[in-house]
Amino acid sequence: MEITYLNEWTWAASFGRLLLALAFAGGLASTIGYVAAVARPKSNWMTLGRWGFKVHAVGIFGAIGLIYLLIFSHRYEFQYIWKHLNDAMPTKLAFASFWGGQEGGFLLWMFWILLLAIVFLRRLPGKLEAPVMAIHSGVLTALSSMLLGLYFGDFQFGMDPFLMLREAPENMGMPWTFNPDYLALIPQFADGQGLNPLLQNYWMVIHPPTLFLGFASTLMPFTMAIAGLWMRDHKTWMRAAIGWSFFGVAILGAGILMGGAWAYEALSFGGFWAWDPVENSSLVPWLVLVAGSHLLLINRSKPGTAVTATYLMVGLSFLLVVYSTFLTKSGILGDTSVHSFVDSGILPQLLAFLMGCSGLFSAMLLPPGNERKIYCAIQVALAIGVVVLNPALCLLGMLVVMALAGLRGHLTHLPRTDQESPLWTREFWMFVGGMLMFASAVHITFQTSLPVFNHFLTPFSGLFQALYESTGSNLARKLAAHNLAPGTDFDATYHAIQVPLAFLFIGITAFTQYLRYGKTPSKKRFLQPLRSLISAVVLTFAFALAFDFQAWEAPRVALIFSCLWSVIANADYIVQVLKGKWDHAGASVAHIGFALVILGAVVSNAKKDVISSNQFGDLAMLNEALSNEEDLLLLEGDTLAMGPYYVCYRERRQEGIHAKFSVDYFETLPEDYAQGEVVAKDGFLFQCTSSHTALPNFEDDMEEHWTFVPIPNDRQKQEAQPWSAGRPGPYLFTLDPKIQLNEQMGNAPEPDTKRFWNKDLYTHIKWGRVSDPEADEEGWMDGRKHDMMRRDSLMIGKCVLALDSISAVTMDQKPLFGLLDKDLSVAAHFRLTGQGPDTSFTALYIVRDSLVIPDMVTLDNRGVKVRIDGFRPAEATFETVVWENLSIRRDFIVMQATVFPQINLLWLGCIIMTLGALMSVRQTRRLQRKRTPVQP
Amino acid sequence: MSRTNIFVILLVAILMGSLFSVFSQNSESVVFERAFAEPGVEFKISGTLNTDHPVLYDPEVSVTETRFHMRDKDGVTHPVILREAKPTGLEQSESIDLYGQVVDGEFIAGEMLMKCPSKYNEQSHDLAEAVELN
Repeated sequence: MEITYLNEWTWAASFGRLLLALAFAGGLASTIGYVAAVARPKSNWMTLGRWGFKVHAVGIFGAIGLIYLLIFSHRYEFQYIWKHLNDAMPTKLAFASFWGGQEGGFLLWMFWILLLAIVFLRRLPGKLEAPVMAIHSGVLTALSSMLLGLYFGDFQFGMDPFLMLREAPENMGMPWTFNPDYLALIPQFADGQGLNPLLQNYWMVIHPPTLFLGFASTLMPFTMAIAGLWMRDHKTWMRAAIGWSFFGVAILGAGILMGGAWAYEALSFGGFWAWDPVENSSLVPWLVLVAGSHLLLINRSKPGTAVTATYLMVGLSFLLVVYSTFLTKSGILGDTSVHSFVDSGILPQLLAFLMGCSGLFSAMLLPPGNERKIYCAIQVALAIGVVVLNPALCLLGMLVVMALAGLRGHLTHLPRTDQESPLWTREFWMFVGGMLMFASAVHITFQTSLPVFNHFLTPFSGLFQALYESTGSNLARKLAAHNLAPGTDFDATYHAIQVPLAFLFIGITAFTQYLRYGKTPSKKRFLQPLRSLISAVVLTFAFALAFDFQAWEAPRVALIFSCLWSVIANADYIVQVLKGKWDHAGASVAHIGFALVILGAVVSNAKKDVISSNQFGDLAMLNEALSNEEDLLLLEGDTLAMGPYYVCYRERRQEGIHAKFSVDYFETLPEDYAQGEVVAKDGFLFQCTSSHTALPNFEDDMEEHWTFVPIPNDRQKQEAQPWSAGRPGPYLFTLDPKIQLNEQMGNAPEPDTKRFWNKDLYTHIKWGRVSDPEADEEGWMDGRKHDMMRRDSLMIGKCVLALDSISAVTMDQKPLFGLLDKDLSVAAHFRLTGQGPDTSFTALYIVRDSLVIPDMVTLDNRGVKVRIDGFRPAEATFETVVWENLSIRRDFIVMQATVFPQINLLWLGCIIMTLGALMSVRQTRRLQRKRTPVQP
Repeated sequence: MSRTNIFVILLVAILMGSLFSVFSQNSESVVFERAFAEPGVEFKISGTLNTDHPVLYDPEVSVTETRFHMRDKDGVTHPVILREAKPTGLEQSESIDLYGQVVDGEFIAGEMLMKCPSKYNEQSHDLAEAVELN
């Protein structure tokens, strides 16, 4: 029985699925057509390929347009819209909700691939068209298959972005799905869930599209490399791919750093980079792409150099993009078996895509003919083994066969030069730099992929166990346990390797441009980078002194040196060699940018200064190892010294989904002390002997201006203020660190940062109340227990509650307190000071017939209630319960404030690097046009 | 042998060496039993938050003291003290690494690292439940 649902856009679901099916079919046709056209370029196969591609493009663009129509019409009957959109989201976020889920992510990725392919086609690629477009269409077909949403029994083939909520598997058979008017009847359909509030940020609008464009732009060089292998022409594609790969370098680099900026601005993990698997997995393809594009450059000037390495770098950059897509969605990364994206159910498909792309690439590396056929047969057999036998073992087998294929290709048909380039040539050092970057990528991948290796180690567990038992090797034992995990100490895990590598390859970017292709430069030329080297050494010394680097930080200082040298040398190159010809300066500009990024990252990270520290408590004195000096407790209205500022937590207010905590910052002025004033310092009292303005250290003033008070009188004790070098000066600025009220993910702090030209003051809330605490109707909050001895005191609101004295209640006092003669009673005499007149009162601890009679003392006008629940005579300690009324309560926050010096170099470097890489793209394009006149 | 080859071999050697150092580095974690057997020595203990016990954090008493119970890899639960403000998302954490030592019969940690569900994690939106509640 067909139900006609009311007010539902049933047509849109059917139309959307039609478009996606069309795209899949078109892609398939295009792939077949183009593959056949490689051998017969003038045949009708080419026409089939082109038309198939057009149909595919129409299908994908149509589907994207349709989803946007659904988004802007707020059609919440669709699962994708309901999950990622709600009415409260502003237009720009509604726009971004498109890529809130995986389905949209795939579509966005395909959108950019299509756009780049269209640009490629418009440039009349000639004989490259068929093979490049064949791979493109193949990849696009595979990607569009992930959106088909077909079920074969329990096996899901793709996720359908046009799935309606009533059709979702978890809602199947629910009674409401049979109600034609369910949209009007069920209130849940009036509004969607909306994007996770953590993602509701303007970075969500620009970061994913940039990153996906970066990912998409690694495909073009990859397909060109395959085209080169296919047509056995190792030259043409390398020239054509240079511009595309530098475009990828520019966009992917910008996208990665945008992610860092997002993390820095909106998430509170205290920095812009955390070596998180998700971050690493976009950095690694970029590093490999940079290595690859430099090898392409070498091949432009010296064709036939390091051909295998060039193929590998260019191929791997795309394969690593796919690998990281797989890795971050697979849930393998979780230490536990908690998967992050399991619900999508397309993991096998993603794995097949990854293995398919890598398999194809290594097949092409083999010499054409029988070897490729044998290779394919082995791989297919192993792939079947993955499904029916041991997945880990068979996958490992596939990877080993791929590696062997690459090696075989290198040893047989790929061109190799016997001629060694001289040491001081540009190509040699570019190659070295590229390989060092690749090494850096390998190391990061290795650390990120440890959980994957654990899976591969599982089948060998017994073997390693036996090895451990026979040799006692610690390594064998760890491998047998197969629960390797990347270390949590970034210095040991990443920096120990990455810093020396970066020192080397950034140093190489400083002088390599001064060298020439093919021949050793003249002596004059050789000395050209010398002046930048000397200035870099001088500047490094200045840096090391200014930021007080220690001897153990030598690797960092070395890295700072190579960054500075690279910046100066590349700037000098533009002046000295290029004489200001900007057209040729792309490489230099990009190198300056990259060096600035690393310089900013190293300095801001190594010399970050946590200026918030707790003024109260002596934890640090008890045990130095356990001290925590990074968090500051701020009571509402109090003004405290924090680093170079005085800070005051002024108010909390709620704005939308945020609780904002306004903290005012004041300048610090030196404190003036007048003759006769008494101060407390480290528990001792001092009196001022002559009026003066305080120096930063008390010790410097002590001799001249202070005299020790050995036996202070009561007045002195009461008047003595803690010594402080400064006092709050004029108001400077206000920061509003926030706590985001997030029902889905738990409340999350969001930092607020004051930016200066040379540093950032970065603050976030470590603890704060987002709403008033619970209280009864009269405003009394839950009582707190305190053990109090004589002379102990407590802060209650803005007052101090002190236990002045203890006395036993004598027989003649008992009637005064309304006690019976048999009662035992101790009296605690309290005094409440501050905020109005001092109030003294007495609370009793009463025991009658071995029962404790509660005696509640209520000071309504002061908003305090006190009760003694117990008395321990041996320690003369009262177990006191104190209630506070909301009317006197003071709010407080625990805040952390960090100064990141020179962090702006990083953002500046990012912009410069992107510009430089784009300048290179433009220049490459110009050179290509000059060399090959545009065909009519 | 050409210089390029020598360079590549050197690079591979250095890389392999550094990768194997990862295995030999003692990133292994111990269990409570060991830490309590050797008080005063710093250890890393990995485990999970035991949610049967409350997480106690009262900044008015101490800003930098969080008390909770942790279950180590042997399944043994111990109360621990963390000398830090209560980290956001502790209750949601999937696993915890504590760096600390036993002092006077209590495990006191100076540093803690958590593994939390990633922000990329999609929530399971259970419409069925929501509808049933209505």
